[in-house]
Amino acid sequence: MRRHLRHPSFSVGLFILVALSIVAVAAPLLAPYNPTHTDLMNTLAHPSASYLLGTDEYGRDILSRLIWGTRISLEVAFAVVALSLTLGSLIGGVAGYAGGWLERIIMVCNDILLAFPGFLLALALVAARGSSLENVILAVSIAYTPRVAAVMRSVVITIRPRPFIEASRAIGMSPARVLLRHVLPNALPPVIVVTTVSAATAILAEAGLSFLGLGVQPPTATWGNIISDGQGYITSNPLISLSAGLCIAVTVIALNLLGDGLRDTLDPQMRRYTGERML
Amino acid sequence: MGITVIGMVTVVFFLLRAIPGDPATYMLGDYATVESVAALKAELGLDRPVWEQYFSFVRRALTGDMGTSVVTGQPAFAEVIQSIPWSAALSISGIVIAVLVGVPMGVMSAVRQGTFADLFVMLGALIGISFPVFWVGLVCILLFAHEIRLFPALGASSSSDIFTQVHHLMLPALVLGFSVAAYIARLTRSAMLEVLGQDFVRVARAMGIPERRIVYGLALRNALIPVLAVIGVTFAWSLGSAILVEAVFSRPGLGSMILKAVFARDYQLVQAGVFVLASAVVLVNTTLDIVYGLVDPRVSVS
Amino acid sequence: MNDAAEKSPAASTSILTVSDLCTVFPTEEGLVTTVDAVSFSLKAGETLAVVGESGSGKTMTFLSVLRLVPPPGRVMGGEVWFDGTNIAALPEQQMREIRGAGIAMVFQDPLTALNPVFTIGDQMIEVFRAHTTMNRRQARARAIEVLERVHIPSPVQRIDDYPHQLSGGMRQRVLIAMAIALRPKVLIADEPTTALDVTVQAQILELLAELRSELGMGMVLITHDLGLVAKYADRVAVMYAGRVVETSPIAQGFGQSRHPYTRSLFRSIPRLDVPADQALTAIEGQPPNLAKLPEGCAFEPRCFLGNGREDCRRERPLLAPTDTGLHLSACPHWPNLPESEADA
Repeated sequence: MRRHLRHPSFSVGLFILVALSIVAVAAPLLAPYNPTHTDLMNTLAHPSASYLLGTDEYGRDILSRLIWGTRISLEVAFAVVALSLTLGSLIGGVAGYAGGWLERIIMVCNDILLAFPGFLLALALVAARGSSLENVILAVSIAYTPRVAAVMRSVVITIRPRPFIEASRAIGMSPARVLLRHVLPNALPPVIVVTTVSAATAILAEAGLSFLGLGVQPPTATWGNIISDGQGYITSNPLISLSAGLCIAVTVIALNLLGDGLRDTLDPQMRRYTGERML
Repeated sequence: MGITVIGMVTVVFFLLRAIPGDPATYMLGDYATVESVAALKAELGLDRPVWEQYFSFVRRALTGDMGTSVVTGQPAFAEVIQSIPWSAALSISGIVIAVLVGVPMGVMSAVRQGTFADLFVMLGALIGISFPVFWVGLVCILLFAHEIRLFPALGASSSSDIFTQVHHLMLPALVLGFSVAAYIARLTRSAMLEVLGQDFVRVARAMGIPERRIVYGLALRNALIPVLAVIGVTFAWSLGSAILVEAVFSRPGLGSMILKAVFARDYQLVQAGVFVLASAVVLVNTTLDIVYGLVDPRVSVS
Repeated sequence: MNDAAEKSPAASTSILTVSDLCTVFPTEEGLVTTVDAVSFSLKAGETLAVVGESGSGKTMTFLSVLRLVPPPGRVMGGEVWFDGTNIAALPEQQMREIRGAGIAMVFQDPLTALNPVFTIGDQMIEVFRAHTTMNRRQARARAIEVLERVHIPSPVQRIDDYPHQLSGGMRQRVLIAMAIALRPKVLIADEPTTALDVTVQAQILELLAELRSELGMGMVLITHDLGLVAKYADRVAVMYAGRVVETSPIAQGFGQSRHPYTRSLFRSIPRLDVPADQALTAIEGQPPNLAKLPEGCAFEPRCFLGNGREDCRRERPLLAPTDTGLHLSACPHWPNLPESEADA
């Protein structure tokens, strides 16, 4: 862990994420107003002492909405990571480890899902099941699980022939145990890098879906919603959309930095050869 | 290739039927009575078992009949065909911009690894992939359409003049293009670095071949292979971005059509739209596979 | 110390003389001196073997000679005299002209050393065009000639093959062909046979010996295989921890080497004439951590002669002549070594 912390990208990314998590958890304390509280006397107000970032068309405080929106975004990110990591690892792990016809079937199905643009698949899923936070999480997870599965499978394929796996089988361990106790733990590092990317894409996807009106519904505050709300007032109150977009960007940048940092420190071979840093 | 398309369409088909509640009721809205719902269902064939629906759908699809749009009453396929040129114009110009900007940036970054130029480009790329594309679109509308009146805010016009059309296309295409370029730049840089780290590069240097020739003649040729893969992957992804760009710029196209159809619960249209998108992805990937086989002598084109 | 090398008779006819070459690499653990004041010389027509464990700096020394040290490493100092010029100070453009045409290097792994997306013909032509004014047709003809010279069957067909279509041995021949095509004065062969089958190894080395005498090149054979050294080399330089610890003519044999490290190497070779149940001799201790070398002699912790000695620990010994000017050793205690290993 210390080695990871030495990498600038990783530590900066981690720091930002921790800060954001604190904001999310402490939202009730930090936000000056209730995010759904409307002040109809002060709609579309410009930044002032009482409304630091101004208000939207319903008189809701933008700053408070942004702070509460952090919760949604982080929830989506963590949930999607948890789901797609678990599901994807299992699917990919089983496929890679089992081989044969089972692998073929799984990979064909996976390839079909992979061929979909991720966002489109998530869109279709949300369209089918209705717009809510849970459905967004479910949809995005399902849309990105195939990628995790594909990575997991290719990693497992390189681990499978290794002697210590053979040894485990030789002493009579059941395939399931071997998979769970030996293969998966070793396969995790590269997969974890992929999941930081999927967390970033999850946040962007949720934002996109909410922006289109298919994601989390108003009056719940999510950054995508806020951008969409602000779209109509972009010339008069640009701050509404701009601030929400910046929040998304900061979070996604942090996740990408984390992922890049992880990738660099987990891949010493490449680093030694080329001294590569992805920033 | 055919399997993938069929698979994708199947997925969408069953997806849409997974909706809770039934479509006929939604469609009739306030006019839904038990009889009218039943009648509509019968008309749409929704009262038959799902499998039967699926097979009849496939049968009809093969003859080009993708059903009728419930909203407009026109054949779904025709609707879809109409919106293709708009989407194609946006997607193609977007990808072209993305490749023309992203690949050279990625290559340059790799070659000048560790210098300020590299840092600068990678920082730019990081920002490019972190800001939501629709937000960038909004900002660009604000800056270039309102503040500086360079481009129109609307992504399309009904004018038949090609120059006006292009003028309207430019801002959305640039937004999409630069967004995708950021991805391509990052991935190209990785690919190029990996190639440059390989032994044959060292050998070529030891043989006294000029550095320029090594990078742009030899290494680039090798990096082309993973870069092609990169382009394939980002194309599929860019279709998702294109939907958002179409929405922000109020531009007609496949994405907008699918969106409207989703809100209207117009399944035929959604199916038709997704089918076309899926086919496009498969087509592009297959083409890339072929090109791949031509470029890499180790792979035989099957 | 380097005076000794320069004053030795070899220097007057040597085509490559390296003095005090230093290359460092910054690492997480500190600055690592991969090539530590290395000095040696090479005559035309002779084969110098450079021996040492992995990590002893063998390859890096010659990459430094060619100024191909990969970043973040860099050459810190020293002189490299090739054909009368100090190429360590040459501008890059002229250095490039020397690479391949004056000094050529053949690398270890033929599988990865060739560009997979170009035919071997194209790659060879590339090299010719970089150094001469030949047009494609002339270059191609020359390439076929050279392929024939390295005994590749049906070169006219083979020249349009891709690397993956050739066997390991053939690929190595192609690399050798590329290296000698421009008649370099010095050929550096870096573990040319490590990645190949034993049967092919002998062929490759015979080929190299053939080419060396035909072209009158000075050849450097980098290897960790003492058997090859005995068979194909005229002189040997032994490296440890980035330093040259001994240089001598082969005629004297390893059994009479003047450095405890070389002796230990020799002792650790399994022998056929001892009982089968006799334990193998290994050199005690661990390979050195280049980031944390001791102040004095780098080999002292593992040295059967000097382990624990104050003077070995305190001062770093330099290469100096032993009983003859041709045989240099970095161990001042060499007289304490047994006369020959047969008596050890």
